[in-house]
Amino acid sequence: MSAYVFSISATAAVFVLLALSLNIITGYAGQAMMGQAAFFGIGAYTAAILTETYHVNFWLALILGMLFTGLCGAVLGLISLRLQADFLAITTIGINFVMVALFNNMSITGASLGLNVTKPSFFGRQMGNQEFFFLTLIVIVIVCLLIVKMRRSWFGMALASINNDAAAARSFGIDVSRYQILAFIIGTAIAGLAGGIYAHRMGYIASSDFAFTVSIQILSMVVIGGIGTIRGPILGALLLSVLPEALRFVSDFVSDYRSLVYGGLLVLMVRFMPGGLFGSSSPIVRGSLWVFRKITGKGGAAA
Amino acid sequence: MFLQLVINSLAIGSLYALTAMGATLIYGILGILDIANAGAYLIGAYIGYYIYISTGQLVLAFLGAMLSVGLVGVVLHRTVYGPILAKPRMLSIIPLVAAVGLFTMSSDLIRLLCGAGTKAYNFRFPVDVVRVGSVTIQTTWLLIFALTAVLLVVLWVVLNKTKMGLAWRATAEDPDIARACGVNTNSAMALSYVLGYGFAAAAGIMTGILYNSITPALGEVPSYKMLAIIVLGGLGNPLGTVVAGLLIGFAEVMLSTYTVLPIPKDAVAFVVLIIVLLIKPSGLFGQRNKV
Amino acid sequence: MNELMRVEDLKMYFGGLKAIDGLDLVINEGETLGIIGPNGAGKTTLFNAICGVYKPTGGKVIFKGQEVQGQPAYVMARKGIARTFQISKPLADLTILDNVVAAAGVHEYTGMRSYFRKSHTPEVIAKAEAVLEETGLTEVRDKKASDVSLGYLRRLEIARVLVTDPELIMLDEPCAGLSNFAINEVTELILKLKERKKSIVLIEHNLPITMKVCDRIMVLSYGKKIAEGPPEVVKHDKQVIEAYLGEEDEA
Repeated sequence: MSAYVFSISATAAVFVLLALSLNIITGYAGQAMMGQAAFFGIGAYTAAILTETYHVNFWLALILGMLFTGLCGAVLGLISLRLQADFLAITTIGINFVMVALFNNMSITGASLGLNVTKPSFFGRQMGNQEFFFLTLIVIVIVCLLIVKMRRSWFGMALASINNDAAAARSFGIDVSRYQILAFIIGTAIAGLAGGIYAHRMGYIASSDFAFTVSIQILSMVVIGGIGTIRGPILGALLLSVLPEALRFVSDFVSDYRSLVYGGLLVLMVRFMPGGLFGSSSPIVRGSLWVFRKITGKGGAAA
Repeated sequence: MFLQLVINSLAIGSLYALTAMGATLIYGILGILDIANAGAYLIGAYIGYYIYISTGQLVLAFLGAMLSVGLVGVVLHRTVYGPILAKPRMLSIIPLVAAVGLFTMSSDLIRLLCGAGTKAYNFRFPVDVVRVGSVTIQTTWLLIFALTAVLLVVLWVVLNKTKMGLAWRATAEDPDIARACGVNTNSAMALSYVLGYGFAAAAGIMTGILYNSITPALGEVPSYKMLAIIVLGGLGNPLGTVVAGLLIGFAEVMLSTYTVLPIPKDAVAFVVLIIVLLIKPSGLFGQRNKV
Repeated sequence: MNELMRVEDLKMYFGGLKAIDGLDLVINEGETLGIIGPNGAGKTTLFNAICGVYKPTGGKVIFKGQEVQGQPAYVMARKGIARTFQISKPLADLTILDNVVAAAGVHEYTGMRSYFRKSHTPEVIAKAEAVLEETGLTEVRDKKASDVSLGYLRRLEIARVLVTDPELIMLDEPCAGLSNFAINEVTELILKLKERKKSIVLIEHNLPITMKVCDRIMVLSYGKKIAEGPPEVVKHDKQVIEAYLGEEDEA
């Protein structure tokens, strides 16, 4: 039972990390990224190839995979400078498909057979779901702290300005292109790190793990949770990865028809609650704040 | 040999053009990248299939599927896209997210209702192939040619020769001014959806006939290929879409015949797209910059 | 008076359209220069070409003795050339205070290094608040920019410019679309800046205000300068009356 819980938690944690990474690009920098799974995949394959083929140390492979993914993100960032939002969205979808096709055809990525990855050891003990869960959790905490720091810095101010009005941002000294590229680098690098962790936990990766539908899953988590906040992507990712498992005890419907549920939720959310379930204007958040104030007796109606 | 390949690529290309035409019409009016068109394509193929196997009438299958899927489009516009677009200060990717949501739902919905297995139209002409000199043409391809041509002519007539078409063009140019001039922009938008989803449904049936198999995953490849084609065609430009569709068909056939591709041929469209966008960021035929 | 900016033979072509066609212009320190001209004369294009939104087709922009033409907008802003927009461009999701704070960081946006520098330091907030006070925005300090009226947004544009401590202030129709009351407030604000010997370039359709505020007026028509001089002189120039003032009087 606890093994099962850790298995689900480890997967959920990877998705939390992915949702946070996408949120940097789409939520903070306002760039239309629809192919985050491609970068998840680049990180996964890079780290896996490094440890399997080149026998690089696991931790070093994670870092190198992250850096290489960030480099690919920089290239996409450069491309994005030339494109308007709609074109960029399609280009990123395209990149996702092309990357999956490459993973599925290149011999270095194991082509259609996929890639077996030896699970790493930590102080002589092979790492299992539990260890990977805690590893991912630590990374999530670090990433969250870094994001909080970002939002209080001039870097965060630059992203917020660009997201609101790029022309205005330029008029007070913001090099929009540079920040756009930086957001792509940071967002994709974190996704790459998530990929490296994922590959070594699963012990096997195949191109379908990084398909466009996975990008949609990540996007769903961000949008349903609340784009542009920290709690939104985290709670959205937890909800969407734990809910199907939890409901499995009731019925297999949700896990069997995952796309139907994700798609339906996406449509309902953007139609009725574009700020997300846990965004700042969400009734859930307002409601719980109100309850919190009532309980603590601070302010009341006037606050 | 080469001539044969050209004919093959024209057939595939015109099918692509037809598939992407729906999304082009919708983008032209609403500025939404409606990836859910691929869902309409899938659902159209299934509705057409059920009509065809129960009545044996292919014409009925086309009409029934196009009409019912067109209506679905209007309903979706009224209930989903319209209200989303009406909201002020909306993130640019929100309508696209809604479209992606609808598209993801469609394949699971079909799997739920019709089962995951493959279904076959088993439609056959009395003659399988036509030979002209050294060139062989499958009769189903001729059907695709003919139907694509007819539908494109119908589209051209509707857009250029009717009052409704005038309203459509006015709305595509500038919805606010069109509205101020008394154009019923709502009906122009509805027209986009009827035509757009109807065309997608027709393309779905044709694909079903051509490959004689439909599955719930039928919409996957068109979903992104269609996007690549409408972007190449300059987003919202019907003529550009036809040219881009033919171009992609041509590139796929030629590249897979004469070269050893390191990627599957379905990814060619995106490679072409990415290259074109890097050279000309507004697409091959993009004249105006919609923001 | 010392020369602050000199524009020499500036050209801005869009395909065959000559939006700015060989324009010369001098702005002295502490001077207020008005630019008037009929719609489509190229006034906003001139701003955009000077401020780096467009790359000029030809000519020179010399700012404090340094050639700066063709540099991107954000560089111009850092050099001390600050401009407002004819159509307000607020950062709609941010509060009015944060809008001004964002602009106060004009020299802080240095890429990755900016990650390690906090934005809302007490000094920055104090500076932003002072500008809010000066521009009469204190009452809407904590409101979202999307929730305030146009009059506030126009003053927000000016506030964002002021907080960057600019050497040259370029105002693009700061009174457009405002009520008479709001116009008076903005005019007062410009006069206050003038008293403090700020160098200002003003595009304004409202002639009485331009005449009242400016030391010198340049008249632009079809991308060319057709007259220049003190308000009193320009007012009586025949060409100007034909091209611009005539229609304006009838209106």
